[in-house]
Amino acid sequence: MSDAPKGPRVILEEPAPRLDFQWEQAVVPVAAPAPRARWSGIGRAAAGAAVLGLGLAVLDAVNFVVDQFGRGPVQGWATLGVVAIGFGLVAGGGWRELRSLGALRAVDRARAAFARQDLEVARAEALRWAAGVAEAASLQPALRQAGSTEELRALLEGGPLRLLDAEAAGLGRVAAVQAFSITAISPSPGLDALVFAWRGVRLVRQVAALHGLRPGFAGTLALVRRTLLDAATVAATDVAVDAAARALLSNKLLEQFAGEAAAGAVAARRMLRLARVAAEACRIVPPRA
Amino acid sequence: MAVDPFGLLRDLAETPERLARTLIGQPRIRLAVTGLTRAGKTVFLTALVANLLAAGRGRRTLPLLEQAAGGRLRSVRLVPSATEALPRFDVEAHLAALAADPPAWPGRTDDLSTLELQLELERSGSLGGLLGGLLGRRTVTLELLDYPGEWLLDLPMLDQDYAAWSAEALRRLRRAEASAAARAFLDWVEALPSGAPADESLARRGHGLFRDALRECRDRLGFRFLQPGRVLNPGPRGETPVLWFFPLLQPGGRGLAGLMAERHAAYIGAQRAEFFEPFFRRFDRQVVLVDVLGALHAGQAAFEDTAEALSAIAGALRHGGSWFDWLTGAGIARIAFAATKADHVPARQRDALSALLGHLVAGPQGRASEAGVPTTVHALASLRCTQDDVAVLDGRPVAAVRGLLLENGRSAKVYPGEIPLRPPEPGFWEHGFFEMPEFQPPRLDAAGGSGVPHIGLDALLAALIGDLL
Repeated sequence: MSDAPKGPRVILEEPAPRLDFQWEQAVVPVAAPAPRARWSGIGRAAAGAAVLGLGLAVLDAVNFVVDQFGRGPVQGWATLGVVAIGFGLVAGGGWRELRSLGALRAVDRARAAFARQDLEVARAEALRWAAGVAEAASLQPALRQAGSTEELRALLEGGPLRLLDAEAAGLGRVAAVQAFSITAISPSPGLDALVFAWRGVRLVRQVAALHGLRPGFAGTLALVRRTLLDAATVAATDVAVDAAARALLSNKLLEQFAGEAAAGAVAARRMLRLARVAAEACRIVPPRA
Repeated sequence: MAVDPFGLLRDLAETPERLARTLIGQPRIRLAVTGLTRAGKTVFLTALVANLLAAGRGRRTLPLLEQAAGGRLRSVRLVPSATEALPRFDVEAHLAALAADPPAWPGRTDDLSTLELQLELERSGSLGGLLGGLLGRRTVTLELLDYPGEWLLDLPMLDQDYAAWSAEALRRLRRAEASAAARAFLDWVEALPSGAPADESLARRGHGLFRDALRECRDRLGFRFLQPGRVLNPGPRGETPVLWFFPLLQPGGRGLAGLMAERHAAYIGAQRAEFFEPFFRRFDRQVVLVDVLGALHAGQAAFEDTAEALSAIAGALRHGGSWFDWLTGAGIARIAFAATKADHVPARQRDALSALLGHLVAGPQGRASEAGVPTTVHALASLRCTQDDVAVLDGRPVAAVRGLLLENGRSAKVYPGEIPLRPPEPGFWEHGFFEMPEFQPPRLDAAGGSGVPHIGLDALLAALIGDLL
């Protein structure tokens, strides 16, 4: 290029639209290809059993209704009514389960919107949530006015979520007292675990109801799974705290004093933490970074 | 800067906090963005903040930095304001202005503004995982500062008395290229009697001529080494009497010379207390932005003036390396030199641009290396405004860049000339002065959710702060 033109030059052209490097598309994170969902052997077997059970039951019921109409119209209509009510209740239960799972998905959608600072989606989800939660209903006009996801978050965290956290902590204290009492009077460790699990699930459902989730069976399972996952993130801290407590209580005399009361206290503390983690899992805003 | 015993005591007092923060993985890093006027500091800070925030949201805006962080960057957030007395660096307003129709580049910075960013990272390794459970994620807090570039040139003044500064300032104004622009002031000051009285009208008159000479040198000749900085950019308070001083041929004695010396000392004291001590006394990382292309196009004198200014600033900063710096943890840990506006040259010439910058900052780089500070040189466009193209000049195709002109929206191909790999020979300057046109920013998201397009910002940040992540 030694014989290139030496001085700089400007060559003017016609007006043109603004340059667009398609930057927004270029920086979208490339997600790893999702593995194809494959059913496990047990999953297939369970699905087959469900199809057989439900399908054959429906076929049987239809045949039975037809047979009953053969016997007489009164028997036929009565049988049809019983079958319709029975299957209607089953379908209603299924629909409710789906709705409770849908409510959990909505929480996920809202959290994702907050995380990527998508104001429109976050606001829509926040308004939908606020409409169903008494503590948040009065906040709707301010939520509509919010100009950023940070503002939305501040409104939610400063108002209804703080109240709900306090209520969840109250529920946790009640559950903790019950867990402590049951552990103290329980005749066997096995029964302890059973009662603790039942009370824990009930606590998670109560906290979820505070946040307007009202989970059914499947929703409760999903919520407990999510709560346990969240709880796992603080497991390392818990291990360290437990180790420190054990080190303090390793003195023989203290052990004597501590005894069952210490086990009860641990159960109560876990119940308190469960309430906090469950509340975290139900919040429509992600935890602060 | 001169050693200030109280400053050293403050450094010592801060050491335990710095050590504790580093030990628990929560370091706080002051990033000094130094650059002469119009080097692009404000746009650099805007692009840095926008792209880091976007990277924290999972956007791949800074791939090399993410690579340096080992994919552990989890989130980036602006640290909320507390009780700062300084204005907050307004990223949103700058982004909105750049994305607006018609767009506008940030105006001349006329005041200090600050901002803090907090980067949150997963801890590395299995021990890090356990620590993460106990202490939470690592956070790195970046303290950023925007300021008028003109003020930086006062840094070398801090160690000079009025007589020494007068001699230096007059020497620079008497250089062949500057002397024509400063003729009115030089004629006036040379005609001034040696025992001139401390008369207000004389002082105002001399200051006015001196200020006009400095402005002419900056705006018409592209000079950067112009002191005092506040005369060119007085800041939000405007001109105050402390600025009304100028160099004299005979700076000693009483009368006008005494008044000038008094104001000079007061000015130095104010700049030291309000600007340099709080913000430039200590920082951990430094990026030096240089508009190499602008200096190259402004001619030999402007190019040499830029090199002299950079050398003087670097000479006045503490690079660390002494036993006391080691003890207090003070001093700069890494320096990155960047030739800004790299999008104004086609891709194949960007290596030449950074090589030329390497020669331009050889002195400061050498001093930093002697103090054991790693340095790197980059070609950088904080906000990319052009794309590569081919222009036909004198019947031959040459690599050029194409962008939209800011003033009229017309598309223009710009051939920036051959960028020399080293300071050019005298024959190079024959083509004379060339003013690079201002380009429009590309289409941007005003909210900055995806950051802004850039060239080399990720490489620069990886070199500058990659070791902290």
